[in-house]
This record gives sequence, structure tokens and C-alpha cells, in this order.
Amino acid sequence: MSLSPYVPIVGLFALAALFALFSVAIAPFVGPRRYNRAKLDAYECGIEPTPQPIGGGRFPVKFYLTAMLFIVFDIEIIFLYPWAVSFNQLGVFGFIEMILFIGTVFVAYAYVWRRGGLDWD
Amino acid sequence: MTSALHLVAAAAAAGEVTTGEKAVFFILAPIALIGAIGMVAARNAVHSALWLVLTMLSLGVFYIVQAGPFIGMVQIIVYTGAIMMLFLFVLMLVGRDASDAVIETLRGQQAWAIVLGVGFAGLLGTGLARVVGSLKVVGLEQANADGNVQGIAALLFTKYVWVFEISSALLITAAVGAMILAHVDRSLRDGTAVMSQPERMRARFEPGSYPGPKPGPGVFATSTSIATPAKLPDGTPAQRSISPILPTRELTAAEVANKQTEGR
Amino acid sequence: MKPLAQDPTLNDFGHDPWWIVLIKVVVVFAFLVVMTLFAIWYERRVVARMQVRPGPNRNGPFGLLQSLADGLKLAFKEDIMPKLADKAVFFIAPVISTVCAFTAFSIMPFGPVVSLFGHKTPLQLTDIPVAVLLVLACSGLGIYGVVLGGWASGSTYPLLGGLRSSAQMISYEVAMGLSIVAVFMTSGTMSTSGIVAAQAGSDTHWGPITAPSWYAILLLPSFVIYFVSAIGETNRAPFDLPEAESELVGGFHTEYSSLKFALFFLAEYINMVTVSALCTTLFLGGWRAPWPISLWAGANSGWWPMLWFTIKILLLLFVFVWLRGTLPRLRYDQFMRFGWKVLIPANLIWIVALSGIKTLQKSDWDGTKRTMVVVGVVILLLIVALVWPSKKEPEKLTVADQIAARPDGSFPLPPLDLVVPVNPRAKRITASREEPVTVGAPDDSTGPKEA
Repeated sequence: MSLSPYVPIVGLFALAALFALFSVAIAPFVGPRRYNRAKLDAYECGIEPTPQPIGGGRFPVKFYLTAMLFIVFDIEIIFLYPWAVSFNQLGVFGFIEMILFIGTVFVAYAYVWRRGGLDWD
Repeated sequence: MTSALHLVAAAAAAGEVTTGEKAVFFILAPIALIGAIGMVAARNAVHSALWLVLTMLSLGVFYIVQAGPFIGMVQIIVYTGAIMMLFLFVLMLVGRDASDAVIETLRGQQAWAIVLGVGFAGLLGTGLARVVGSLKVVGLEQANADGNVQGIAALLFTKYVWVFEISSALLITAAVGAMILAHVDRSLRDGTAVMSQPERMRARFEPGSYPGPKPGPGVFATSTSIATPAKLPDGTPAQRSISPILPTRELTAAEVANKQTEGR
Repeated sequence: MKPLAQDPTLNDFGHDPWWIVLIKVVVVFAFLVVMTLFAIWYERRVVARMQVRPGPNRNGPFGLLQSLADGLKLAFKEDIMPKLADKAVFFIAPVISTVCAFTAFSIMPFGPVVSLFGHKTPLQLTDIPVAVLLVLACSGLGIYGVVLGGWASGSTYPLLGGLRSSAQMISYEVAMGLSIVAVFMTSGTMSTSGIVAAQAGSDTHWGPITAPSWYAILLLPSFVIYFVSAIGETNRAPFDLPEAESELVGGFHTEYSSLKFALFFLAEYINMVTVSALCTTLFLGGWRAPWPISLWAGANSGWWPMLWFTIKILLLLFVFVWLRGTLPRLRYDQFMRFGWKVLIPANLIWIVALSGIKTLQKSDWDGTKRTMVVVGVVILLLIVALVWPSKKEPEKLTVADQIAARPDGSFPLPPLDLVVPVNPRAKRITASREEPVTVGAPDDSTGPKEA
């Protein structure tokens, strides 16, 4: 396979990376530097920053569930793409296969829905 | 460069490893290795996850270079998503500032791990080199004849259809497993009832709790004193508008009386 | 209208000499930067018009240079590294955001094959067989910039904002990924130039009006879902929860200042342009001119398509601003419910229905069999609709009944028949204005003749 169509992508990537790194690198030298202890504190609308809990505080396990569901659906989508692209070549058999696949994943989805895994509070 | 690109294309057609492919490999292979080593060596769990992202990205590019653009993109989309999950997992499990313990629980385990790791890599590398070294690569062009994605689809939905359907069972397991492990009934957290967002919103508008800002003292009042309560829309005085630190005092009859200043 | 010979196909890419590649890379880069500067001005002007105020109008003609001035100002601001920040990650997060935003644009088709300095080349940086996936991959990686920026700041608001946006963006990425499936199914390709060419097919004629064969019309549900999830994906109002000012100050970029903040800002607007451009490519016929213009033979050749493409992007950006000016921000639970319980199942059902219809069309069954299948499906749907549990709508109360039903201790309301007395101060002002100001002759009662 010829790699040449990918060269411009790398080119744009490199140009953007150069631009971004350059901007981030010169930022401390272009701007003024006036030290003030309060500036370096965490910003909490003017009040004294809340002390960080030991270990940095933990987060609801809810987010993990969302991420896991995301992975499940992402993989489903990844299977859907080649199927969609060659849909015209696959015929009825491909259609039935995909119905089965979507149906199976939908069972998991319905289960999570019923158990309240998609509810946020 | 045009001629170089054409040369690359020609060489690819012949099934040889092209200069471009070699260049990409020799740039990205060390980066992938550094990512892997960094992932193990990083003290901070989030830094570990980031090093892993670097390795996964390099692998994705390798796939693309080896004429598998679809699988390369999938590698980037799904695996970075997976690392996002890992990232959240770290945050959830150990908090923001978590880092590895520096103390070795097993004496000399690091040294042993390094020796065994290098030994295993050497064994695997030489074995692979002996097997692959004299291998003639064929069939790539035929496999990608109608396009890479179409080729994958043609195999996935005919020859490997059983594997494909089984993978949906795997996905079910993942979703149900995550649900059982991670789902906490929201009505009871730490043994206390937790209000949901809609309930909290409704409570905010319950009688006795006014959603708007408190009326300031003196607003629509008969005097500008801060001790004078504001008036609610129906004319009753709003006691909430007076600061609780003000000393309460009785108003004199003259103060209470309508001053008729507004010409009513 | 048949696909013309000048339509680029996948085989036309990768043959440019290095200097054309360089020119194209720089042009795409400049296009994105200029579009960002323009889009910021455009958004501020449009939203100002919606709120009956002039908007920025000082710097340059119509205030066009306002965003440039703002950008320059940002460069000369102090670069603050918070004490608790994770230095390396804090430094790299805006870079990740920006680079991903730029790279995603590399496969956008601007137009057909043109002649550039005597060299035939497509008006598109490049195209690959998995072009649309590249955009998805870049938007997936762009999430890292947001999450890492929030995490590395070492502060509460950014951390909450980063976490929220990660959950939000992955949720809406699923909906976005699903909405594209129907496009792939209809066009049979993932390359952007191929999708644009596939939409150039036969137009439908309804009397004097010609409807374009765009996927936005053909695959309307996909288009709607794509656009909604694109707004969620770019963190724009009404889905701007990661930067909800009233709750999280600035969200993930609260602690960022100077050029680092400017990069986040740039990335956000480039992402808006990218999703609009992808929307144009996938659903709105790409660079092809719509019907009244396409009557002119030269509309779809040469450099003109670049103009149509840009106009379509700007129209979509207008919708973005319009939504911002119209809709209040959603609550987080409403937002996640919408993404997971509405967009995703609707999308899956639409995909199944579409593939069913297409399979039926392809099949060599005769009319009666087809009718039987269609009737069967309709009956099935009717049964489901009948069995589906329905909620009873509560009876509507009149305003007076509602007031009577309020429990004790409710916020007092003024009586319904309240007549608001005229403010005496206002009365005085009116009176003094009504009085004729006599300056000249005493018989002059109509008003002053000289000021």
C-alpha cells in the first residue's frame, strides 16, 4: 500500500504541533512576571482554596460505569462500520447477522437501563 | 519527493519493506518502547496512563503503515477510549494525587523483574527473528484488492461470523459486569438517602423556600433603614430581608404609620 | 447529474509534489486560524444582534479585528503555573487539544480537481480510505486535552469540569459514531471525497423546486442526531456543562492563562469548524452548490466550490450561535439521559429500519411479498404502540385554580386583579416633559422653535 496519502496528515500534524509547542514555550517569556502568592493558589472565586483531602479525593464510581458502557458501544460501532461500508455486497445474510448482533448488545443496554445504570443524580 | 513516493509505491507493490515504512518504524518503535517503559516506571498513576497512550498511538500508526488503515484507526479510537476508562478508574479508586509506594515489598523484585523482562524479550525477539527473517510476504495486495475495510467486512461477515457473534456476548458480559460491580443504588449512598437532581430542583421551589435572591432591606419599604423589612409582592413584610445580626427593636407608631410620601 | 470526471477519487491523492503538499498544509492551517478569528467575531456579533446590542464594532471595519486584538492581548498576559499543578501535564494539555483539532481537518474536501501552478490536484489536503474515522480518532484524542487540563490544574473546579466533560464527550461520541453509520451504508465508502461524490446523484424534482440529493434529506434522522451530538461533542450551549460558568467558573481551563488559554480557545473553535465541515461533507453535499446555483454550469468546477463549502460551514456555525442565543443550559442528569436514553436507541432503531428497507429494495421478491413484509412490520409496530404503557396527562388547571391550590407558606403572589399604581416619580417626569418650554414669544404654545 502506498503511504503517500498519509504524508500530508503528518505534515499538518507537525505544523500544528510546532505552532502549539512554540506558543506554549514562549508564553512565560512574552508576558509579564509579577510574583504574587495568591495568583499561584487554586482559583475558587476569591475565597481561600478548600484544603485538598488526603489522597486528592475520590470520584463517584458512576463515571466508571459510563466509561465501560462507552467501550461496549464503541466496539459495537467499530463492527458496524465495515458492515455499513460493504452493506451492498453482503446481502440478506449480513443484515440478519447484524440484527442479531445489535439485538444482543441491546439486551445488555436494556438491562443497564432497567437497573438504573443510565440515571444520573 | 514525487519520484520517491512513486518508488515507495512500486516497492510496496513488490511486497518489500519500503523506505517510508522503515523510517516510520525506526522513529516510532523507540517511542513505543519509551512509552511502555515510562508506563511501568512512572510513579504517578495518571502519568502511567499517559505513557500507555503514547505506546497505543505508535501501535496504531504501525498498523496503518502495514496496510491496515482500518485496524489502525480502530486501535486509536478504541484503545484511547479504553485508556480514558483506565484514567477515570484511577481517579475514582485512588484520588488525584495517588502515586506508587516507593518501598519494595519483595526484596530485590525490581532487579529480578528487569533481568527476567530483558531475558524474555531477548528470547521472543530471537525466536521471531528466526521465524520471520527469511519469510516472503505475499497476499497483502489480494487481501486489500477491494479496499481494506471491504476486505475486513468480507471476512468478518462470512468466514468469521461465529467469532463476530460471540464477541457480542463478550460485550454483554462487560456491560453486565460493570453494572454489578460499579452500580450503586442512588437512593441509598453511605446508608443515607441522596436526593436526585430533579428532587433537589423541586425542593428549591417548595413552599417556604424561595428560589430567588433574598429581597434587600428597604426595597419597596416605607423607609430606607436597613432595619425595615422588604415587602413581598402581596405587601407582607419579608423578615428574611433583615440581617439577623441587627438588633431587633419595636418600631414606633410614627414609624409604622404610612408617611403618604408616594402620593397615594 | 452524473459524477463528473473532475471529481477526485481515492486514486487521485498522494501524487502531489512536495511543494504542493506544503502549500496545501499551510493553506489549511491558515484557513483554520482565520476561520477561528472570524468565528469568534461572528459569534459575538450574531449573539449581540439576538440580544439587541451592537457587539464588537471598534477594531477594524465592523469590529472584524476584535478577535485578533484579543488574541494578541492574550499573548502578553502573565503565564501562571499554579502551585499545585502537575507541571508537565499542565504544559502538554493545550498542545494535545490544538494538535488534534488541526489534524482532524486534514481530510476535509474543499472542492474538485483544479489546476495549481499547472499541476492537476484535488482541492483537498488528502484523502484516505478511512478518512471519517480519522476525524473520530482526533476528536477522541482531543478529549485528553480537556481532561488532562482539568486534572493537572490541581484545583477543584477544573477537576470537576474535566471529569464532567470526559463523561459528556464519550457519551455523545457514541451517538455521533452511530449517526455516521447510515451515511456509510448509503455511500458505501468512508473516504470524504467519495461521500461527496455519492451525494451528487440524481436530484429529486418537485414541480419547479429541485431538492438536492443530500443525505440530510435522505437520512434526516441521522443528520439531526449527528448535529445534536456534534454540539454535545464541542461543549457548546446548551450542552456547555464542562464550562458552566454559574457552577464551575471556567471549567477545565479555569487555571489557564495567557497563550495556553488561547490554545484551548483556538481548539474549541476549530472543533466547531471541523464538526460543521464534517456535517457539510457527510450530509449537505460537501462542496457542491445547491440547486439554484447549480443551474449555472460552472458552479461545481474550478475554485468556486471552496466558496460554497465555506458558506455552508458559516451557516452551520450560525445555527451553533443561534442555539446558544436561544436555549438555556441543560441540567446534568437531563443531558446524560438525553444522550443515552434518546439519541442512542433512536439511532440504533433507525439503522435497523434503514438496513431493513434497503435489504427489501435489493431483494428479488415480487410486489406481494414485499407488501406482506411491510404490512407485517406496520402491524407489529401498531401492536407495540397499543401495548406500550402510556402516562396519564394530569388535567390542566386554570391560573386561579393553581393559585388556590398552593399550600400555605408558598411565596406570596400579588392578587390577580392588582392595578399597579403609577410611580409618582415617573408621573413627575412625564409632567415636566409635557409642559411646553416657552422661550420666545408668549403666544408660542406648540413648542420651542429654538433650542
